[in-house]
Amino acid sequence: MRFIIKHASCGGERVGNLTGFAKMKTAVIETPTAALLTQGGSVVHLTVDVLSKVFTSPHLLWVPLSNSARLEIGVKAQGEGIAKFAGLQGHVTCATLHNASEMTPPGHFEANFVPMWTKNGKKMITADRYMDIMEIYTPDILLAIADSHITLNEGQKRISKSVERSRVLLDTCVNRYVNSKRLQDCALIGVITGTGINEKCDHCIKHLLTHKEHLNGVALSGMTDGSEESLKIEKDKLETIFKSISESIPSELVKFIEGCWTPDIIMTAIQYGWDVFDGSYPSKLTNAGQALALNFDVDKNCDELCLLDLNDVRYKEDFRPILEGCECHTCKKHTRAYIQHLLNTREMLSTVLLSIHNLHHFDQMFVHARRHIASSTFDVYKLHIVKQYERYKQQVPIESDSEKDKDTVQTAKKICVSNDVLENVSIFK
Amino acid sequence: MGSKSQALLFHIQAECKTTRSRAGLIKLPHYSVKTPVFMPVGTQGTMKGLLPEQLEELGCEIILGNTYHLGNRPGTEVLEKIGGLHKFMSWNRALLTDSGGFQMVSLLKLAEITEEGVKFRSPYDDTEIMLTPEKSIEIQNCIGADIIMQLDDVVQTTFQDYDRIKEATERTSRWLDRCLKAHKRPSEQSIFPIVQGLLNKELREKSARDHMTKNVNGFAIGGLSGGESKDQFWPMVSLSTGILDKHRPRYLMGVGLAIDLVVCVALGVDMFDCVFPTRTARFGCALTNKGQLNLKQKKYETDLNPIDNECTCSTCKNYTRAYLHCIVTVETVACHLISVHNIAYQMRLMKTMRENIEKGTFPQFVKTFVNELYSDGNVPSWVLESLNSVGINIR
Ligand SMILES: [Zn+2]
Ligand SMILES: [Zn+2]
Ligand SMILES: [Zn+2]
Repeated sequence: MRFIIKHASCGGERVGNLTGFAKMKTAVIETPTAALLTQGGSVVHLTVDVLSKVFTSPHLLWVPLSNSARLEIGVKAQGEGIAKFAGLQGHVTCATLHNASEMTPPGHFEANFVPMWTKNGKKMITADRYMDIMEIYTPDILLAIADSHITLNEGQKRISKSVERSRVLLDTCVNRYVNSKRLQDCALIGVITGTGINEKCDHCIKHLLTHKEHLNGVALSGMTDGSEESLKIEKDKLETIFKSISESIPSELVKFIEGCWTPDIIMTAIQYGWDVFDGSYPSKLTNAGQALALNFDVDKNCDELCLLDLNDVRYKEDFRPILEGCECHTCKKHTRAYIQHLLNTREMLSTVLLSIHNLHHFDQMFVHARRHIASSTFDVYKLHIVKQYERYKQQVPIESDSEKDKDTVQTAKKICVSNDVLENVSIFK
Repeated sequence: MGSKSQALLFHIQAECKTTRSRAGLIKLPHYSVKTPVFMPVGTQGTMKGLLPEQLEELGCEIILGNTYHLGNRPGTEVLEKIGGLHKFMSWNRALLTDSGGFQMVSLLKLAEITEEGVKFRSPYDDTEIMLTPEKSIEIQNCIGADIIMQLDDVVQTTFQDYDRIKEATERTSRWLDRCLKAHKRPSEQSIFPIVQGLLNKELREKSARDHMTKNVNGFAIGGLSGGESKDQFWPMVSLSTGILDKHRPRYLMGVGLAIDLVVCVALGVDMFDCVFPTRTARFGCALTNKGQLNLKQKKYETDLNPIDNECTCSTCKNYTRAYLHCIVTVETVACHLISVHNIAYQMRLMKTMRENIEKGTFPQFVKTFVNELYSDGNVPSWVLESLNSVGINIR
């Protein structure tokens, strides 16, 4: 894989191309971009047939091992990698251990093992086992395994452990990567953790850079454990993190950020030169019955809410599309009233229609960002998006989030407890 | 006798010289439907996560909606405001709605049937509701399907009490008159009467003959496929198609298993509906000419074949059994993928029958089909007997 920077402003934001993928020679992924989150190998809720109605060009797929581990036997039998096995060979894959936006309960750790939460409970996995699977999956891009699923506010001890453990894990990954024939066309990405404590984070980055010749990029992690609570970080603090870490990374490396960040935060990250985001945000909206409806025209003052909750009965007789003027299949053919009906009757088409719109619209947010960066007007665009999102936050107090969090934690704990009892935490063999 | 109004025109394009099967075209206000036809069931104005566009690509020409469910949600007010179910769900081809009576009796234990209608408690707000023939047609007029069903007095197929069956059969005829009288859109929608009489020969014959005297564009055969044996089932279908006018389409309700479709097309049925192909998809069950595959089974773990090598659906083009095995009953996508294949299977089966009727090779097709399905040679006796009754000797 090659990363070519096409335009970089003095402020930090930049547009680039990811190219040179061995399996998809003609594929060009323009950055900044968001990947499409997959689950069990498929883009969440969408068959390849429907996905082709949303995107006609190759896109970046985010493939967490935690939700796709059961595909291993089949991928191995076929021998052509995860994308082909999941019917998505027209796209580019980026594999990682976790979906960073998934809540995982705190658990115990063992030397050399990283916990991985699957639908069947917690599995302990080693770096070698992770790389064994990656040799079978043969993704185009591979995030090194790390112990980084922690919040900014973790205690010093936990953060130190996270950095130390991730150092050892990366060494194994690099060693395996360098000696692997099957992974020679795959790009390796180092994972930054310890983000909560400057000094620890610096250690982590310094170590990453000692392996620079083998790395195509870095991924910023160690900021969230997937909970809503952990995503609530003061703006200034976030800006400092995005800025200082970005500046300490050589510009030729492509910069990833993991986590379910909202559009306003994504804009800030782009401003400091971050290039690739995982696609968990639109999936989260879809699963909640919500639709993103940002206005991208910076000359237009927009007082509509930029997020619609289509569960709301107010849309029962609203025969407008989700977003007037949106070019997606859902908006061209279907109404808010129909989607409200599908949600109300718990019909599966609701998540299909919402996925189509949310993925298209979220992608458009990046298309417009790239255009503005190229024409040096990104600061105007950023302000335009941030304003809309902040107005939404003011009008719709995110009151129930912490309540929801408690529920999720409790469910997650329950799942884990029951599985611990049943399986006594199995080692992923 | 031809069709009675512009809401439905039926042309028979080819007839089998041996069996009662025929290939035809039903011209409906929203679409011209080629018969014999299988109609997938989209209960609440949607089909198991598939886009209307995908249904078109699969070759679906007419689909079903449920009056009872749609009348509750989104409700007639919403449907009226947007101008019917076609617009609400963005489906431009033909639609058929049931009367709501079957749901009421099968879903609601407390339903009470009187001459006036079906009385029941709403599962939504516990109020007492009376569904009369007039009310059913009023809702169906509002939904706006091309073909609508009369409200019939539904009795469990295996019910034994002669007096009750007789009452239900006769009441169904009386309710038909009330439905026809209440019908407000006869130039856009056709009411099909439902032949009742369960498994009683005399009653079923009388029901069919009664309906024949009415000014209607087609007929439905009801009260079957409800737990009776196949030996009881097929003679009732045969009896009904034997009486019903051959110039109007005949619709056998709730039948959709491949072998049943083949036999009943041979017996002269034109239209079918069934929830089975899409319902079974949820459990990982895929349909093929050799029978059903349960993709959850471990033997598919490393099976790199598509569900069916001969199928051209997007699922068979893009996915292996091994991949589907990994995701069935876990990811919603699996349900969509197998639904696509299962609907494609039903459509292909109907198309193949149609083509063979047109070419005059339907009996040979039936023999090949039966022998492939029962490759061990154990063809059920009801299949042999029913096909024999229309001149096909499998052995
Ligand atoms: Zn090292
Ligand atoms: Zn849209
Ligand atoms: Zn297929």
